[in-house]
Amino acid sequence: MTVGLLFISCVAMSTLFLSMALYVAMAIFLGGMGWRIYRWIRTPVPLKIVLTPGPQKFPGVLRRLVGELFGFRALAKADRSLWTPAWLFHVSLLLLFLGHLGGLVIPHLAQTTLGLNEKQFEDMAQVVGSAVGLLAITMLVWLLIRRLLLPRVRWISTFSDYFALVLLLLIIATGNAMRFMGGLNIIQAQRFVAGWWTLHPVAPPRDPIFAVHLLLVCALLIYIPFSKMVHIGGAALFSPTLNQRNNPRQQRYVNTWEKNNGNSTASS
Amino acid sequence: MEIPQLHPDAAAGVQAYRAKKELLAPLGLPPELPPDWREKALCKFKELLQQRRSLSLYMDICVRCGACTDKCPFFLGTGDPKNMPVARAELMRKVYRHHFTAAGGVSGRWAAGEELTDTVLKEWFTYFYQCSECRRCAVFCPFGVDTAEITMAAREIMASIGVAPKYVTEVIKKAHETGNNIGIPEAAWIDSCQFLEEELKAQTGLDIKIPVNQAGAEVLLVPPSADVFVNTDTMMGYARFFYAAGISWTTSTYASEAANFGMFLNYDQLKKVNLRMLDAARQLGVKRLVMGECGHAWRAAQAFMDTLNGPLDFLAPPCPEHICELAARYIRTGRLKLNKSANDGLTVTYHDPCNLARAGGLLEEPREILRAVVNDFREMPANTIREKTFCCGAGAGLLTDELMPTRMNGAKPRMEAFRTTGATHLAVPCAICKAQFPVAFKHHKIEAQVVGVMDLLGRALVL
Repeated sequence: MTVGLLFISCVAMSTLFLSMALYVAMAIFLGGMGWRIYRWIRTPVPLKIVLTPGPQKFPGVLRRLVGELFGFRALAKADRSLWTPAWLFHVSLLLLFLGHLGGLVIPHLAQTTLGLNEKQFEDMAQVVGSAVGLLAITMLVWLLIRRLLLPRVRWISTFSDYFALVLLLLIIATGNAMRFMGGLNIIQAQRFVAGWWTLHPVAPPRDPIFAVHLLLVCALLIYIPFSKMVHIGGAALFSPTLNQRNNPRQQRYVNTWEKNNGNSTASS
Repeated sequence: MEIPQLHPDAAAGVQAYRAKKELLAPLGLPPELPPDWREKALCKFKELLQQRRSLSLYMDICVRCGACTDKCPFFLGTGDPKNMPVARAELMRKVYRHHFTAAGGVSGRWAAGEELTDTVLKEWFTYFYQCSECRRCAVFCPFGVDTAEITMAAREIMASIGVAPKYVTEVIKKAHETGNNIGIPEAAWIDSCQFLEEELKAQTGLDIKIPVNQAGAEVLLVPPSADVFVNTDTMMGYARFFYAAGISWTTSTYASEAANFGMFLNYDQLKKVNLRMLDAARQLGVKRLVMGECGHAWRAAQAFMDTLNGPLDFLAPPCPEHICELAARYIRTGRLKLNKSANDGLTVTYHDPCNLARAGGLLEEPREILRAVVNDFREMPANTIREKTFCCGAGAGLLTDELMPTRMNGAKPRMEAFRTTGATHLAVPCAICKAQFPVAFKHHKIEAQVVGVMDLLGRALVL
């Protein structure tokens, strides 16, 4: 048993396995998202179905989409007690993404851009990373409790809703564990990431939590395109109720599938 | 409005009467459920997924956050969880996941997919005819997921296998046969208009005309046919307005109906019913097309008419124009003489019909008119008006007796909002709302009357 676990963890932490897992997951993620977004764009929008307030001109539409994308404005109108954890969670997720990018993928560029020395940069990463990591996990727990306790939301919840929350919880928990337990060698992590994305994989940090963290991220990447998580592709941007201009009387709007397929009235 | 506890299946027993073959066949629908209905329905589902981005996107992106769960009037009125917009959409999504996604195929029940079975079909027919396509939920959705799009698609799929309500198909059949939804023949239409002219003469002493089929008139007014027979004050309001404004106008017996019940069944009928208005306009050689007080008619005309049967370049812009837009324009430019005190004694509040408020945003014009013609005008609470307005409870083909429990429950949020104003009159520019509210007032024990916006304008006009 112990030998078996040891063997599995050795394999899991080996250079090849972790790097390959991440390559495969990333390929599935990019391919899957590309395919999904391509399908949305390709599907015609037969009629004007824009919702009030429907801006008449493009700058108005842009403001509306930016407001939805970055401010979750419709959600704010719907329910403040949902908007608060949802918005804070998404903001912390964005910051964590930027933090990983700056701290692991382009550390030197990030450091010089911010005009900090190595010590200051690490201190900043420590403070901001810890705060955001805690914020993210608090909001996730809030959202999970809400889903479990509010009867209406619990009624509509499916396995996939809990799975997504738990997966994210585990990813952020393992991330926080590495930061707070001080087990991670950040230099090794940077080398691993640099090697990975320049296609010259090197050995990952010898830390089992790192391996678990990374494998969970791989699972998430694979899960996203095939689940509700696909909404990170910018769902609101493609939504006709939000991205159309309200000008059907000013500018003729043509139903493209009908134009291509002939008149539906005649064919039926 | 208090949010109810969940009462599973509270509304499960309320179902529309099914159309039989004499109603289905004339609309080009299968006269009965075909033996291979499941394949046919899935085939239609697939076709719609490829034709409508709204549908394919809204099947994919809902995160079940729950923002919409307390927004639907039918949920607020019944507590039936399947009337929560997200749950209603899930009735369709579960079939989508099972039949059209990789996850549904691979992981089965874990993906919350479900096969299209008799039980599911029955559930669809129940709950997609307890949605009034009012789109209130969409206003609060972070992705703009529009349940009306999902309901319309589900209804279209059902129609393609001969599953449709008696009421909606009957109305469309009448619209094709007589030009209007009530089934009034030409002679009766002419008769009624003459009767209203006499009524106007008695009221004002003036020869105010309600012209029928008058070629060469400037404006073709397409009212909901109920205005000629039931809401006659609204019809006389139009006539008084056109008289005061000095606009030559006409009604048409070929297109004597603004309402387009095709929207509640399928795209094919939406288009065919819509075409009648344009054919009438061409035939009569009018210059402009004006729509009367009808909610979904406005959505179908304003947002869809040009796309469905355009171009509309033979008519002057804005085409079509809403009667409230036209009247507000005349008030704004000082071309009407008004006596507000004619409506004294009435305390008036305004109900935004869903399709005026949320599709196209016709929010200000009716209010401009009301402020100009009523001294005591007050609004209902802010979260129940404008784009957040509550449906009357009878839109999208629900205005039929067998759905009465759903209708009365669906009206509850609107009734409660109305009660807070202390108003005596509820002004509403929509024929379906006008048919629903008197019944709802009685059911919810409210003493008040329903009026059209143009009724109140008509009364205040100095002729």
